[in-house]
Amino acid sequence: MEDFLPTSLCSTTRKVQPDPPVNLSLQVIQSAGILYLWAKWSPPPLVDVRSGWLILHYELRLKSEEWEEWETIFVGQQTHYKAFKLHPGLKYIVQVHCMLDHGEWSEWSSESYIQIPNGQSPGKPELLRCRSPEKETFTCWWKPGSDGGLPTNYTLFYSKEGDKSINECPDYRTAGPNSCYFNKKHTSLWAIYNITIKATNKRGSNISEPQYVDVTYIVQPDPPVNLSLEVKKQVDGKPYLLLKWYPPPLADVKSGWLTLEYKLRLKPEEAEEWETIFVGQQTQYKLFSLNPGKKYIAQVHCKPDHGEWSEWSSESYIQIPSDIELKDVIVWIFVAVLSSIICLIIIGMMALKGFSMVACILPPVPGPKIKGLDTHLLETGRSVELLSALGCQDFPPTSDCEDLLVEFLEVDDSEDQQLMPSHEKGHPSKNMKSAHKETDSDSGRGSCDSPFLLSERSREPRIPPSAFQTPDISEIPENNARKSSCEIQSTDLKEIIPYFSIGGAKLSMGLGAQLLNNQTPKCSYHDITNVCKIAHGTMNVNVASILGGNEENQQSQYSKPTETISEETLDKQGEVESLHSKVDQDRMQLLPNEKSPFLSAKLMDYVEIHKVNQDGALAVLPKQKENGGKTENCTVPGTNKEYAKVSRVVDNSILVIIPVSRVQSTPMFQEPPKESVQNLQQSQREKNMSYCFTTPSECKIDTGGLDYLDPTSFMCSFN
Amino acid sequence: MEPVGQPLGPHFLRQSGQRVGDPAHAALPVGYAWLCALLGLLGKPPGAAFVAICARQGDSSCRFLSVSDLFDRVIQHSDRLHSLSTEKNFLPNGNALGKWTGKCHTSKMLTPNGKEYVQKIPREELTHLILRLLQAWKEPLSHFDQNIGHHQELSSDSLSKAKQISSMVHELKTGMEKVTEKMQSMGIISNSLNGMGSSEAAGLSISNEANLMSDYEFIHCFRRDSNKVQSYLKILKCRIWPGNSC
Repeated sequence: MEDFLPTSLCSTTRKVQPDPPVNLSLQVIQSAGILYLWAKWSPPPLVDVRSGWLILHYELRLKSEEWEEWETIFVGQQTHYKAFKLHPGLKYIVQVHCMLDHGEWSEWSSESYIQIPNGQSPGKPELLRCRSPEKETFTCWWKPGSDGGLPTNYTLFYSKEGDKSINECPDYRTAGPNSCYFNKKHTSLWAIYNITIKATNKRGSNISEPQYVDVTYIVQPDPPVNLSLEVKKQVDGKPYLLLKWYPPPLADVKSGWLTLEYKLRLKPEEAEEWETIFVGQQTQYKLFSLNPGKKYIAQVHCKPDHGEWSEWSSESYIQIPSDIELKDVIVWIFVAVLSSIICLIIIGMMALKGFSMVACILPPVPGPKIKGLDTHLLETGRSVELLSALGCQDFPPTSDCEDLLVEFLEVDDSEDQQLMPSHEKGHPSKNMKSAHKETDSDSGRGSCDSPFLLSERSREPRIPPSAFQTPDISEIPENNARKSSCEIQSTDLKEIIPYFSIGGAKLSMGLGAQLLNNQTPKCSYHDITNVCKIAHGTMNVNVASILGGNEENQQSQYSKPTETISEETLDKQGEVESLHSKVDQDRMQLLPNEKSPFLSAKLMDYVEIHKVNQDGALAVLPKQKENGGKTENCTVPGTNKEYAKVSRVVDNSILVIIPVSRVQSTPMFQEPPKESVQNLQQSQREKNMSYCFTTPSECKIDTGGLDYLDPTSFMCSFN
Repeated sequence: MEPVGQPLGPHFLRQSGQRVGDPAHAALPVGYAWLCALLGLLGKPPGAAFVAICARQGDSSCRFLSVSDLFDRVIQHSDRLHSLSTEKNFLPNGNALGKWTGKCHTSKMLTPNGKEYVQKIPREELTHLILRLLQAWKEPLSHFDQNIGHHQELSSDSLSKAKQISSMVHELKTGMEKVTEKMQSMGIISNSLNGMGSSEAAGLSISNEANLMSDYEFIHCFRRDSNKVQSYLKILKCRIWPGNSC
């Protein structure tokens, strides 16, 4: 049987390729938030799987359109498959094929396309809260979940306690988006509401958790309204703040349905923290602790007895008036301006008036005024003169005077006599010597010339030389001193003047000079220092007498003259003059109290200033009157000058001496008040003529260009 | 004129003087005690709103109280009662409302659940309703008192407060009864409805069911009903005596 037919064997076990599956359907399903593809197909029609003999195995492949590679999944014998891990928004291509046992895979089925949608079912919404403003209606708000990219619808469902039916929200709009408003009809108190929200979109829906609401306990009213602040004054004037408000308009407090309690809060505008005050059920409040001048902000809110606090009301402002009122400020400003003006006026007055004001306020301390005492004596420190003025005796003793006391110069009348000009300072001795040479007198005489400077010049440039003579002091040993005329030229006078010392003696000199203008030309010189001596010594009194007149009176009077000599001003001269006038009969007498004609209150005669020593002693010569023409004798025009009269004293130490042509003649340059005095002097001259005769008859002195006094002339009168 | 019934118990007065969590209210004066005596003695003509509460002479604290003042006292008492019931410790779970699916035993009573209804209902009806409510809780409260010792989770303070509830309710009921009678005698409210008899009967039937309540349900229901009583009283007071503090 090898002759079998060469036939092909068909084995049933040969691989059979079935047909591909059919009716591939695709579906995208989202369940529980998960998106998957539901693929379903049918086996190929010719294959009978029902008998169970044929077992088909399937395989699925899918890919996105953009992808290149297929994802192949072996499914098994099932004819459906859930494909997860889908990418939303992509379009997928799905194919499936089958295979018999040990066979071949069939062809892939035709492609099926499926678009995975972008959107999802919505997320779970959430009920936020439900509130009732007045315990009559209420509103619920919810928060939507994710919408899955698709428009989502929200619905609210509620059910009341005891009511099995579920109702939907009656009003979605009144209270705004995502809210549900229950009006009075739908609101039941003392019943629990079961409220849920459902979110629905194309992909699905979602429902929220249920919330149970009892309206009684969800009351939150609106804030109170019309908060008014007012500053009022109490009976005693203190301010307080009255706050008033009204309950919210919806809350029915009048019927007792709602009982509200209020709370206030205040703060000054700049402050950070509020001050909260619980007020209770009243709708007004009095606040007493205020800061004046500040601006306050106030707010109020309320709460029902079982509910929640409302929102704070809108801010109300109040300005607390300050304590200081405008009129108080004005008053203070006015007072300040007025006082400042007054101060300025006072300062200005003080500035203008200066010291006079100061003097007015603080009057100068009056110095001690003792009659007859010259304070200037104190100032100059010349205790000698001072004490002489005071009448002190023998204090302090000056040695100079003593030395000079015994020194008198006798000046002869001879022509060759030449007296040294006394202005030569520092050479009194020389002068003396020369004088001594000139004269034959012994050296008993000294001269008290002490050239010294006077502080000031005499005021009058032109001083007629006037000789004044003073009677001798007792120590005048000789009477050589004569010189009828001891003239001092004005110019010389000027020179001499500086040498006049200040002191009581000087003045006495001066006065003497004036009063002695008509004296007999006796050349006597009066030692100033001697005078000092006199002043100091026992003959102090004599000085007074010398000066004339009543001792006591003249003490003071003479002190006055001394003052005047030492004075600078003309005023003192006036005093001198007055003194002259005072001394009527009693004139200045330079002699000691020996009853010299001088003392008899006679007018003094002129004295010729002989010289002046350092200590301020004037060496004077009495004017000679031996001759009737004594004056003429004494007056030699040109060389000899007539007597010089001290017209006045200036600058404390300057004797202003006026040359007088004739003794008898009225003094040319004297001031009028002296005329009388001089007249008197003249009248008394005769009487006095005899008093100074120790000196030579002539008291003419050849001044030799300088007028100075002959000291000898002084001596004559003291015999 | 009806004579005034039994005087108010001292408990009512004492409790009224202590308000928990309500500092604004003052304690009841001692003079309230004398109201009872006087109410019994006096037979006031209808319309007279003032009652002399002092029976004894020479008592310095005597002063006249009006019925509206009495009513205020009653209201204050009910406020305090409600405050006690809302004590947090009684309800450990704040939002446990959802758990409860049952009903209160007083749910069967038809009570107005809105302001308009409360205002529309006649005074007498409202007054009686209040009394019935209070009566309905008599039994459950006594039951509650017996079981309160079993609650260890409550603090001693909460425990003491819980124990006060029943006595307070009793005082409130008594006080309300007295005021009602007074008002009836004054003609403020009519006598159409029977006195306490009806309320007693109604309350008893309800109370039986109350024993089945759980503690949570008990507290919850009691809170509600005390709030009802409080609201009704306030509305009633402002209806009868409008103006003062309304």
